[in-house]
Amino acid sequence: MFNLSKQFAAAAAVTLLAACGSSSNTSSMANSTARGTLALDPPLRIASLDAATFAAELNATATGAELLALTSTPVCGVDFYYVKFWTVGGANETTESSGALMVPTGAAPACSGPRPIVLYAHGTDTDKATNIADITNPSNTEGALIAAAFAAQGYIVVAPNYAGYDISTLGYHPYLNAVQNADEMTDILTAARTALPNTLSAATSDNGKLFITGYSEGGYVAMATQRALEAAGKTVTAAAPMSGPYALEAFGDTIFFGGVDLGSTVFSPLLTTSYQKAYGDIYTATTDVFSSQYANGIDTLLPSLTPIDTIFAQGLLPETALFDSTTPTVTIPDNPTESAELTAALTVPTLATTPLAPLFDLGFGTSYLITNDYRVSYAINAATFVDGAGPLAPHGSPPTLAAIPSAIPSPTLAPAFYLRQAFNTNDLRNPSWAPSAPTLLCGGDADPTVFYAVNTGTMEAFWSDLPAGLVNVLDINGTPATSGPLAPFAPLQLAFQASQAALLVYYQSAAGGGLSAAAAAAAVTQGTHTAEAPFCTVAARSFFSLF
Amino acid sequence: MTLSNIRTLPATLALIVASLGGAASARADDAVPANDFRLGSYSVFYHASADDLSGPYVPAGLNFHTDNVETLYVGYVRRLSTHFSAELALGYPPLTKTYGVGPATVGSQPYSGQEISTARWLAPTAFVEYNFFAEDAVLRPFIGVGVNYTNFYDRRSTAAGDEASGGPTKIELPPSFGPAATVGLAYRLAEHWHAYASYSASKVNTRLTLITAGVDRTSHVEFNPQALVVSIGYAF
Repeated sequence: MFNLSKQFAAAAAVTLLAACGSSSNTSSMANSTARGTLALDPPLRIASLDAATFAAELNATATGAELLALTSTPVCGVDFYYVKFWTVGGANETTESSGALMVPTGAAPACSGPRPIVLYAHGTDTDKATNIADITNPSNTEGALIAAAFAAQGYIVVAPNYAGYDISTLGYHPYLNAVQNADEMTDILTAARTALPNTLSAATSDNGKLFITGYSEGGYVAMATQRALEAAGKTVTAAAPMSGPYALEAFGDTIFFGGVDLGSTVFSPLLTTSYQKAYGDIYTATTDVFSSQYANGIDTLLPSLTPIDTIFAQGLLPETALFDSTTPTVTIPDNPTESAELTAALTVPTLATTPLAPLFDLGFGTSYLITNDYRVSYAINAATFVDGAGPLAPHGSPPTLAAIPSAIPSPTLAPAFYLRQAFNTNDLRNPSWAPSAPTLLCGGDADPTVFYAVNTGTMEAFWSDLPAGLVNVLDINGTPATSGPLAPFAPLQLAFQASQAALLVYYQSAAGGGLSAAAAAAAVTQGTHTAEAPFCTVAARSFFSLF
Repeated sequence: MTLSNIRTLPATLALIVASLGGAASARADDAVPANDFRLGSYSVFYHASADDLSGPYVPAGLNFHTDNVETLYVGYVRRLSTHFSAELALGYPPLTKTYGVGPATVGSQPYSGQEISTARWLAPTAFVEYNFFAEDAVLRPFIGVGVNYTNFYDRRSTAAGDEASGGPTKIELPPSFGPAATVGLAYRLAEHWHAYASYSASKVNTRLTLITAGVDRTSHVEFNPQALVVSIGYAF
């Protein structure tokens, strides 16, 4: 009896302890906000889909079925984790950010055990709530793409939502800030590597191989990350930046001299805010850059929880008109020749001068975003410190190559050129470097959003002296190679071009709106940047599979 | 719920019972025992209804049901007067199991029919009862009303629950206060000894919160248990 009552007392004590103690385990919150710290360990698994279920869910929609046809049937299931981690903003501020860890699962040999990591960077998104880990959100097409293309084929995928998005309390996004972008990619990689062994998918582990890729903004982020990791002596197995604005200064010059890309009115406030926060010298008031119609509040406009179409409809941003449709007159005191030359260079383009001219034309209007004064100041700086699309020298050094227009003496107009300085700082030719890991640059030469020649083409030329095979450049819209390292990509090029051709026919059909041939061509072009993404992504996977 | 609340509640109930008893005992017949301890079986039938689970990344239609339990019943009854008594009913806290109801899978994780969580219930109920007939009658029906307090502890998400929730999951189920009612029958076995059977119902409402990696998923739950108690009591 004595023993029994002792046991009972012990049981009662246990009961009381259970009643007052914590009732169950859950993720622990990090005490540190140091870079790369996993904020919640283990992270939340948003969804767990086996290969068949993932295939069925993709096949349930027409676009999903098309994606699956391109990326191949899933071999692995995918567990989608929502990773929260500590990183830094554009001015090195401590901030929390979030992103995805997608883990291949299942019995197939490629789906568990040690697997390679694909570190992926997503494209520009105006939606502040972007969460690439949330596969349950039907609008998360980029998340579905990378899950299908990489995770379901046996790659662990790590992808940030970026600081300034989702749960991040940073009040802006460090857009095209090379240092921050690479820091954040490195930080989510560290956090994801910490997280993986503690997840429900710990049967899959990191085999140490690291592939880096990303599309559009993410192509830029991927290249910046490759550069930073290689500079730090970290392993990069291979990289495949896709359709990114790598040669930022040359790209900026192209735009300011009238080659306005589609999406520029969205990219501009993201850029000016990013650089203003990082460097503090882009403007003293937003009206220094933006027309008074749009200047008020533009520094906090994007990213936003309001859909971008609503922002356009509310008149907070022009949809396409980046510049004034009235050509500015450049007046450089005592220099009529150069004044005339610059004025001519800034002439609003007329239709049909280039294949993208109809789009360039859209870049000008009466309700425009950026003032002519700012455009002129930028142009004078560009003409003074010529980019020349070669190795970049710091501003103030002699121009290296002649470009449009020819070099002129130091500007005597107010030099509002800090934006261009920021472009120079963040241009991925600066400082001079070259990949040491095998690299594939994929893009399309008809891209109206991130111009191919001035970005991918510039980097190709910049690295033309490297050993053959180190940097491979694939124009998904180009002529397929029949031999050489690019020949394996020929079917993807043909498939992309066939899909664009089919779209052109579709737009002219009754179902597609019965557009004229020219209007249909414009509609196809308008969607080209997005259309290239899955083809380049599959090309990237095919490239990674070589290593 | 803090530990001190849990500690003080039974004490408070005991005080109420004691004071009622004390007030009554002055009038009680010395020949009639004032205290009655009962031991028996407690069969709990849940008539639970819950809202579908809501929160981030939760598909529609996720619900659950709770398995009925059997446990040890311990009761203390204090005679207040010829017809009135007070009962403090306790069950040895049963392990209550909750099963998923809804889609067969969440993503590809099994859900419907899976044991997703367990909890123990410390659920004292205090009744004031009216007993019919004379105190020495062989059969005495009784009815009672009272209050139930339910504290849920040892709350655990099972491995299947963690798989469905997406990680190690903490379960919050705040304590519930609610009315209770009972109806029963006492059968006199011998002097001091009675057999009892009673059926009681209580309202147990709470808000279930599943916390997984900082994400809360919630549901309003009404367990509304009904219980059949069969017991033997010794009065002294």
